[in-house]
Amino acid sequence: MTEQGETGEIITILLVEDDAPTCWRLQDALVKAGYEVRSAGTLGEARSALAAGAPRVLLTDLRLPDGHGIELIRETRQRFPDTEIMVISALGDEESVISAITVGATGYLLKDAFPTDIATTVRDLVAGHSPISASIARFIVRRTQGAAQSSAEPPPGPALNTARLTPREIDILWGIAKGFSYAEIASHLGLSKQTVPGHIKNIYRKLEVHTRSEAVFEAVQQGLIKL
Amino acid sequence: MSEIAAKETTKAPERAISKAPTRPRRRLIASRLVPYLLLQALIVIATLLGLRLLQPSDPDEFALSGFSMRQDGVTHPVTLPHFTTSRNSLDDPPLYTGTFTFRRGDAASGWSVYLPRFSNAVEVAIDGVVVLDSRRDANANRPDRNTPQIAAIPSSLLREGANEITVRLFVWGPLKGFLDTVYVGPDAALRPAYETRTLLFVTLPVVFSAWQSILAVILAIMWLMRRREPVYGVLAAAMVIGVVQAYVPPPVPPAAASRLAAVLLASAPTESALVVMFGVLFFGWRWPRSGALLFVPGIVVFVVGLIGGPPLPRILFLVLGIPTVGLCLLLMAWVTTIAVVRRQDAASFTIGCAVTIVLVCWIQDMLTVLELVNNDRIFVSRLSYSAMLVAIGAGLTWRFARALNQVDSFAGQLVTRVREAEERLKASFVREEERARAAALANERTRLMRDLHDGLGGQLVSIVALSERGHEGATITDAARAALKDLRLVIDSMDDIGGDLMLALGSWRERASAQLRPHDITLDWRVATVQGLPLHPELRPWHVIQIVRILDEAVTNAVKHAQARHIAVTIETFDASEGPCGLISVTDDGRGFAPAGHGEAGRTGQTARGLRNMRNRAARCGAVLDLRSDASGTRVRLQLPQRFPDSDAAAG
Repeated sequence: MTEQGETGEIITILLVEDDAPTCWRLQDALVKAGYEVRSAGTLGEARSALAAGAPRVLLTDLRLPDGHGIELIRETRQRFPDTEIMVISALGDEESVISAITVGATGYLLKDAFPTDIATTVRDLVAGHSPISASIARFIVRRTQGAAQSSAEPPPGPALNTARLTPREIDILWGIAKGFSYAEIASHLGLSKQTVPGHIKNIYRKLEVHTRSEAVFEAVQQGLIKL
Repeated sequence: MSEIAAKETTKAPERAISKAPTRPRRRLIASRLVPYLLLQALIVIATLLGLRLLQPSDPDEFALSGFSMRQDGVTHPVTLPHFTTSRNSLDDPPLYTGTFTFRRGDAASGWSVYLPRFSNAVEVAIDGVVVLDSRRDANANRPDRNTPQIAAIPSSLLREGANEITVRLFVWGPLKGFLDTVYVGPDAALRPAYETRTLLFVTLPVVFSAWQSILAVILAIMWLMRRREPVYGVLAAAMVIGVVQAYVPPPVPPAAASRLAAVLLASAPTESALVVMFGVLFFGWRWPRSGALLFVPGIVVFVVGLIGGPPLPRILFLVLGIPTVGLCLLLMAWVTTIAVVRRQDAASFTIGCAVTIVLVCWIQDMLTVLELVNNDRIFVSRLSYSAMLVAIGAGLTWRFARALNQVDSFAGQLVTRVREAEERLKASFVREEERARAAALANERTRLMRDLHDGLGGQLVSIVALSERGHEGATITDAARAALKDLRLVIDSMDDIGGDLMLALGSWRERASAQLRPHDITLDWRVATVQGLPLHPELRPWHVIQIVRILDEAVTNAVKHAQARHIAVTIETFDASEGPCGLISVTDDGRGFAPAGHGEAGRTGQTARGLRNMRNRAARCGAVLDLRSDASGTRVRLQLPQRFPDSDAAAG
């Protein structure tokens, strides 16, 4: 079985993960699902792999032996806007996932996810759906509220530009945070079930930092780089 | 205030003295009293010398001493100064007749007649024409004022050679009439002497009285603001009386006069009694009830004078008032002497010396009245008394100002101390806050430890054990997966969800779905009300952990033991008697299990432990767990409390 994109090409994935067993596990799951997988253990290897050509999907861990995955995500987003970027996380913690989103990631994958779930997540991503967890939705909504109530002390964690989110998008995030399914959210809000994943992808795009200076600023803010 | 402080300082030595034998006490008194008395003796000498200096000198070359006096129809020659013998002769006053020589060639300026001292009033005529009538100037007739008079003689009246001068002396007693030497000469020669006397006996008393009235106002205000200290009020009253006496114009017989004015002039006994009262209070003693007797003469003079009218007040004043003044002065001297012996402070010394001066002046005046000394009827006690009152008032004001300074510095100390106390309080508050934070952190750590120990710790140990025995595959995988799930649960529960349990359940739903997906079990999630569960502002992370673990346990049971195909989670809110109440149900379609005691032996132990854990956790956060199981499935109902408990009371 071979996974193919809308154009019928084989979907290529660049997997950047320094822990060998984890790398094997993910690679196995993806290869079994029919993807073409290249793997890299360091930031340097990932860069040379990228130099060879753009993958359809980039899956990257954040903490790498020779640098931070954030840099790789930012570079990839700038050089290959069409590449889907997903961050691999051990715990799916909001801070690392949100940091990745602000530089261009549109999804995340848990390292211990079941093989079928790994394949499904990548397929959904390529189909234009971004995965989001209840805790990440909660995190984003909390930032929106923190920005609205300027008198209240902002919650700890990375700053997030949520000003561009629409009320509908915030409603969707609330639904996810409270554990409602996409179908339930769609029926509550009077949307079609198919539009909810698109909204989520939009939310991710809106959270992404666009200009270079903004990126540097955000990175400094988040303590990812030091000037 | 300072009185109290002074009292304290005097008490201490007194107590010490009373314990000590009598002889040292006597010695102490003597050692203090003798120098003081010597000092007073010196002051007496100084006062007498001062009075001698006060005696003004008059231009003797223009003195007229040889007069003939006609009284009661009898004429005889007299030499001025002269006392009349009669006491009441207003209708036919004694008439002094003398001559002086005027030479027009000598007269560069006009001539005047100058009378340095007389009592009570005079009418001066030159060659039969009146040039001076002192009755028109009421103040000139007061015996205590020593007022001189001068009058210019119109040059048309003066004849070359001998001129006649007649002086009519009006006396309204009770003192004898007195006429000092009369001076007639060029105005330029007489006026300096007149002005010296005016300065000494008219201007100076007015200055003193003005000063006294200012002090009276100050002291009255002090007393009004500090009623607890009558000492100011008493002195203010004394000063007011003195000022009134100084400024009320005396009535001149036989003119119809206000009786009140006449009586006020005789207020000296009241004034002196007030001064004694002031002295007693000032030195911190109680004013004895019998002290009221001191006011009796003053009141008698006042009342009798009002009823009887003149000349009664004057007579009473002479026989009753003046001795009272003397008595008061002696009492005051006694009081100050005791104060000096006991306190040895500047105030008592000053007042004591002032009293001695007034006393000397009073005795001098008495001797003058009794004609035992001849000082031309110059009375000095009123003058010295005014000066003393001014000194006392100034001293009191100074003492008051010093007390204010003490209060200021005390206030300054208080401010410093309050600031220090504030600093200490702040520091202790910070310490307390730190301790509370540390305690909360320790509590949180204990709970987290217990949860990690129950879950993650056990699972990791199990992984270690399995891998050591060479196990592979599913068992290790399950244990590791459970460990990760637990880690996520603990991390997730630490997040601030603002009391909305739905947010925690949302994450749990994701984890549970992921857990069930490989087993092909569907998780049916039903939220009966839009809001889900009521908000619990008191919800803490450890409550969340307990609830989520109960739900985990229910799902794990359904998967592992009941072989369910379908699990439904229902979240609803029902209205209890005290408000909305959350209810979470987990229902499966498995084959159920028999409650402890009836089940199969192999499974009962583990299930029973799991159920006991669930009940414990529910009890810890005040929830009610209801569990029903039969062949058609199991239903776990968790009824949330109205309010989650603060402390982990049921922990164990």
